[in-house]
Amino acid sequence: MGTTGFVFDERYLQHQTFNGHPECAERLTAIMDGLAGAGLLDDLVQIAAEPANQRWIETVHNIHYIMKFEEACMWGLPDFEHQDNSICRDSYNTALLAVGGVLKAIDAVMKDEVKNAFCAVRPPGHHAEANQAMGFCYFNNVAIGARYLQQQYSVEKVCIIDFDVHHGNGTQHIFDTDNSVFYYSIHEHPSFAYPGTGREFETGFSTGEGYTKNSPILPGRGDDEYRERLLTDLVPTFKEFGPDAVLLSAGFDAHENDLMSGTNLSTEGYEIINDTIFDLVSSSTGGRVVSVLEGGYDLQILPLLVANHIRKMMAL
Amino acid sequence: MFVTEMMKTDLVAITPETSLAEAKELMEKGNFRHLPVVDADGKLVGIVTDRDMRDAHPSSLLDEESYQKTLDKVLKHTIGEIMTAEPITVAPYYTLQDTLLIIGKKKVGALPVVDEEGYLKGIMSTRDLLRAFVNIMGIEEPGTLLCILVDEQPGQLKKIVDIAAEENVSLGSVLVARDWDKEKRAIFPYLLTNNVISIKKKLLALGYELLDPMQWYLDQSPKKE
Repeated sequence: MGTTGFVFDERYLQHQTFNGHPECAERLTAIMDGLAGAGLLDDLVQIAAEPANQRWIETVHNIHYIMKFEEACMWGLPDFEHQDNSICRDSYNTALLAVGGVLKAIDAVMKDEVKNAFCAVRPPGHHAEANQAMGFCYFNNVAIGARYLQQQYSVEKVCIIDFDVHHGNGTQHIFDTDNSVFYYSIHEHPSFAYPGTGREFETGFSTGEGYTKNSPILPGRGDDEYRERLLTDLVPTFKEFGPDAVLLSAGFDAHENDLMSGTNLSTEGYEIINDTIFDLVSSSTGGRVVSVLEGGYDLQILPLLVANHIRKMMAL
Repeated sequence: MFVTEMMKTDLVAITPETSLAEAKELMEKGNFRHLPVVDADGKLVGIVTDRDMRDAHPSSLLDEESYQKTLDKVLKHTIGEIMTAEPITVAPYYTLQDTLLIIGKKKVGALPVVDEEGYLKGIMSTRDLLRAFVNIMGIEEPGTLLCILVDEQPGQLKKIVDIAAEENVSLGSVLVARDWDKEKRAIFPYLLTNNVISIKKKLLALGYELLDPMQWYLDQSPKKE
């Protein structure tokens, strides 16, 4: 059994969204309380986060976009580019620290200090486009992580598996012409759910054709459909790609209790996701994986799902 | 919305004297299914479709030699011989709804848009119409579709829109299915947001039923006996 790293920083709570916003600091507090209550925290190797150097942000995001976001926070504007993207003066620094936490987790895994790591970070990242904030996301944490793996550690092929209930439009678009990053996403069908992308026919462009795979799930559907689609869509494409490193966009909002979505995944259903993914990770990268928190908005169920996810990582 | 807003205006028009060979090349190059035919003044005199072109072609069942021989002859003919003269047209002040109904009723694939003097101003094809409806439904913008069942009585939509306004959420579109159920309507607001939790809670608090779209689909599907 390997060691599992864990990224959390009190400063992640400083990104304050408006009252009643689902992507709130309480999400992380709930996760920390849940992990402590489950007795898991002591068995995790704490990894200290540091703000990411801007040059890593620039591997994915346009410099003008980065500056515009920093300015919006400095001016104390209530939101950035859309009313969904609620911000405060500390949001920019918190977003840098979220990316930095992911990069530190990658360092720890690549230097064999830990086998794998979970990053309890916010703001989330998978909706963030190269030059646009969307869906509560500002910097694309996993996308930057993939570039970091390639440029800092000369990793060639990175696979990003995204099981947030919303399609990771940002991640898909950032890599849609890139055959060195395979993006797989399973999410609620785009005709019903935000952001309206992630249909089966979106498979990448030019050199990236075939390096994007989407499994849309119709609302009301749950465990059986997830099992079926993961087995038929993810498993063979993952094996064919044969990644050197794996990153997870871990969203816990497909659960039946989470009002953010119409899918009905059960708590046990999340174990199907965990088991399928970690089996693949175990046989391809020897259990090395960095999992990054995206969504998950039901404060009762979120900590439980995160704890179950981490337990499976610890068993790798 | 008027046709002038959605019609294609960078037109490739031909004349009745244009050869079939030339027209064929233009259609293939521009991926057009329709070419408007105008006279020397630019007034519309006809339309030629890819189907007219296919009808004029020799049969693909012919052997290669006779096919080529016949094709060479066919391609020398002029568009005036095969075009539909005096086609169905619409005026620039026609609305999108008009063209939708006309295209459906007359079973045509494209409508030339001509002004009162008969000059060609644009062309509105089913493809342009589809593009217009993608725009009207707002489905290329990020958002979330809600499915709400309401009683058939005035004022229901207002309450839904009021809740969206309270939550500072913009609407991409609202579709209403009128024949849903006896005394019920289904309302589908497409909300330009990821943040639907508080809106859903408020709708439920007002007593609205949030539809499970798949349940509806299964109820409507033909039952296997």
